[in-house]
Amino acid sequence: MPPRLRLSAQRAFISTPSTHVCLRLRRFASSSAATPEIYDVVCVGGGPAGLSLLTGLRNSPVTTGLKIALIEGQDLSKSRLPENASLDSFSNRCSSLTPASVKNLQEIGAWSHASAARIQPYHEMQVWDGLTDARISFDWDSARSMFSPRNLAQSTTIAYMVENLNITTALQNRLAELGGVDTFSSTKVESIELGQDTEELDLSSWPILTLSNGKTLAARLLVGADGANSPVRTFAGIPSRGWDYARNGVVATLKLEGPGRGGPDHKIAYQRFLPTGPIAMLPLPGNMASLVWSTTPERAAKLKSLQPEDFAAMVNAGFRLSATDLEYLHTLSSGQVEEIEWRKQHTTTNEPSLPMTVTAIQPGTVAPFPLKMRHADTYIGERIALVGDAAHTVHPLAGQGLNQGQGDAAALVHTIEEAVKTGQDMGSLLALESYNSARYATNNAMLGAVDKLHKLYAIDSGPMIGLRSLGLRTVDALGPLKAFFMKSAAGGA
Amino acid sequence: MAARKPPLALRALSRPKLSHRCSRRPPTTLSPRSSSTQSAPKSSVDPTEVSHFSNLASSWWDPAGPSRLLHLMNPLRHTFIQRCLSTASQSASPQRLRYLDIGCGGGIFAESAARLPGTASVTAIDPTAEVLKVAEVHRRRDPRLMEPGRLTYVNTSIEELAVPRAEEAYDVVTLFEVLEHVADPAPFLSTILPHVKPGGWLVLSTIARTDVSWFVTNFMAEDVLGIVPKGTHDWRKYVNEGELRKWFAGQGWGTGGAMNVMGVVYVPGLGWREVSGSERWGNYFFGVKREA
Ligand SMILES: Cc1cc2nc3c(=O)[nH]c(=O)nc-3n(C[C@H](O)[C@H](O)[C@H](O)COP(=O)(O)OP(=O)(O)OC[C@H]3O[C@@H](n4cnc5c(N)ncnc54)[C@H](O)[C@@H]3O)c2cc1C
Repeated sequence: MPPRLRLSAQRAFISTPSTHVCLRLRRFASSSAATPEIYDVVCVGGGPAGLSLLTGLRNSPVTTGLKIALIEGQDLSKSRLPENASLDSFSNRCSSLTPASVKNLQEIGAWSHASAARIQPYHEMQVWDGLTDARISFDWDSARSMFSPRNLAQSTTIAYMVENLNITTALQNRLAELGGVDTFSSTKVESIELGQDTEELDLSSWPILTLSNGKTLAARLLVGADGANSPVRTFAGIPSRGWDYARNGVVATLKLEGPGRGGPDHKIAYQRFLPTGPIAMLPLPGNMASLVWSTTPERAAKLKSLQPEDFAAMVNAGFRLSATDLEYLHTLSSGQVEEIEWRKQHTTTNEPSLPMTVTAIQPGTVAPFPLKMRHADTYIGERIALVGDAAHTVHPLAGQGLNQGQGDAAALVHTIEEAVKTGQDMGSLLALESYNSARYATNNAMLGAVDKLHKLYAIDSGPMIGLRSLGLRTVDALGPLKAFFMKSAAGGA
Repeated sequence: MAARKPPLALRALSRPKLSHRCSRRPPTTLSPRSSSTQSAPKSSVDPTEVSHFSNLASSWWDPAGPSRLLHLMNPLRHTFIQRCLSTASQSASPQRLRYLDIGCGGGIFAESAARLPGTASVTAIDPTAEVLKVAEVHRRRDPRLMEPGRLTYVNTSIEELAVPRAEEAYDVVTLFEVLEHVADPAPFLSTILPHVKPGGWLVLSTIARTDVSWFVTNFMAEDVLGIVPKGTHDWRKYVNEGELRKWFAGQGWGTGGAMNVMGVVYVPGLGWREVSGSERWGNYFFGVKREA
């Protein structure tokens, strides 16, 4: 049984319950009772999901009249790309943006603010099983039905590799252009409590936020875009259930021997399923690529401790050598380069079907992240909506986490627009119902599919292996089915 | 079973109603204005209906409570009003509209109208003190609605509301889910007319009086499905759309096509949907413009 997260059903959240904070809270509490500033939308969290939501609200003519606040604990200027960032260096946090997410970013006017030179569309995906070598290749040409003539105008892009910083920079720039959001950067939410029923007003259903700068805000609708450990979700008492995969995702920015097997105009993403989890290499501009290697925490720690040359050799081995070889290589504390060179001579590989060789690791980019799967029981409560990782956390093997947050943001903008048009209280459960029903089942299906894929591939012996390679070969043979598969990978576009 | 495929036109809306008289005479025809205006009584509330709706008051704003279908219908009211205002509007409608909501109940429509950016003010009246208390209490939960002059509740029947001078009358007068509870609709409607500003709109919603509507609202919704509290409807009081058209035309209202109708149907799992033609046998909206 997966461990269940403890349910906290209390409508109060206090960030750090130290005496110091309590004393300050008491002081704030008296001022908050007097005059919390009243907002229509208060968004906690200025990550990709929160910024996309607010940009959507400011961009829509229907919702421009709303009074909006953004609270971000980090310094927002740090989640921006440096001016004239070099194309020889890329952030290790990259996402594969689906065409549906890109379309939404275009509609809210943010996409043109992204640094185009740093975005890499890709056109083909190679996915194979590390134990049996059964392989699926994804590209629009082979997926297209033989009955439908090739349409040259049709985009052959599967998805776009983008640094998360590039997305948040674009959104911040668009939001600055639109204006009208009271932004509290480097400001933490210290507590959230329900308001009071006084003589003039009954704010007993309104969340009142006390910020680290001493301000208090009352929210008609409080949006939790505050990531996987969402304080807003805790305040709302919405349980989030799931499990830890006992895996880490090791990310790194890689330099390859060339721009890729298909040249600079036909970029390929690679993913090999190993018994410990998938290793994925996703193309970036030029000779650069982004690595996500899901593996056990012990192996992740070992990988992180290696010299850059040995780490690079391990990545090359990860796409080429057997699971047994890899297991042994993880026991060495150094010398992987020589050991792998020797083993490669005794392994037959089909190089044209493999990613180009990694020649260097961008310094300081190797970092492990714990992987988990979480899903909130609901995305809404009275005057509460959750978007992005606050609502769901998914295994990165399908590269969907950030995309799901973009879908949430777009759907919540739509729900708020409808409420404004028809005079509903946008914080009421009735008004928010349509947001929950638009997103919950969709996200749940994606979470379930990704989870099952992980489990299917995390078994290294027994009849499952024969079954899963059969599964992969079957899919490869059935073009139309694969097209369906790809369309969902590409966000239904 | 039958409950799976309902009632194309659930008349499932529960709210306190004005009643012109205690009489139960079905309004088979709307008599012309002359025969009825002077008979407007001072006390217009049907005591059986008052006690029935007072029982519902506490759960008025519960989204899962007995008024759920009414809450779900509310956005469509705005859709319909927008449609009316954009019909036959040669004269530019005023920047901000003044609303009078008759039979406002717990304030579901009144609150929403008062929140719209294009609204100057909403006056909402209901003769039942208990439900108006529910409305007043609920209004305090929204600071926007507490802005002075934005939303005013008055505990009165329409008959007792002072008749304004023409230029001080309302741009939009609304009468939602009231008519089917009124014993004698013609004199009742006549009392409302002077509250509509010349060039303004009277917008109402009610239900057609047909075999289907009896089956759906009385038998299915109340007796079989139990989604509407028993005793909410008296089918004989329902008014048909054609009767309204004829009656308003007789008053010289809605000329030049300024009379709109929209039939709506509740589809379980989807909510309320506009279904053209359904006004002949189910719930419908009716809007009519007073000559400018
Ligand atoms: C290894 C790895 C690889 C991934 N790869 C992909 C991929 O390829 N494609 C993809 O789509 N996704 C990927 N993801 C997932 C993706 O990074 C996340 O889904 C995404 O960043 C979530 O965005 P968000 O805006 O919901 O939350 P976050 O980015 O977590 O933002 C939350 C914000 O809230 C702020 N905050 C939190 N608490 C407070 C507080 N009390 N007061 C004020 N502010 C607060 C935080 O500072 C933070 O800025 C990957 C994740 C991992 C770990």
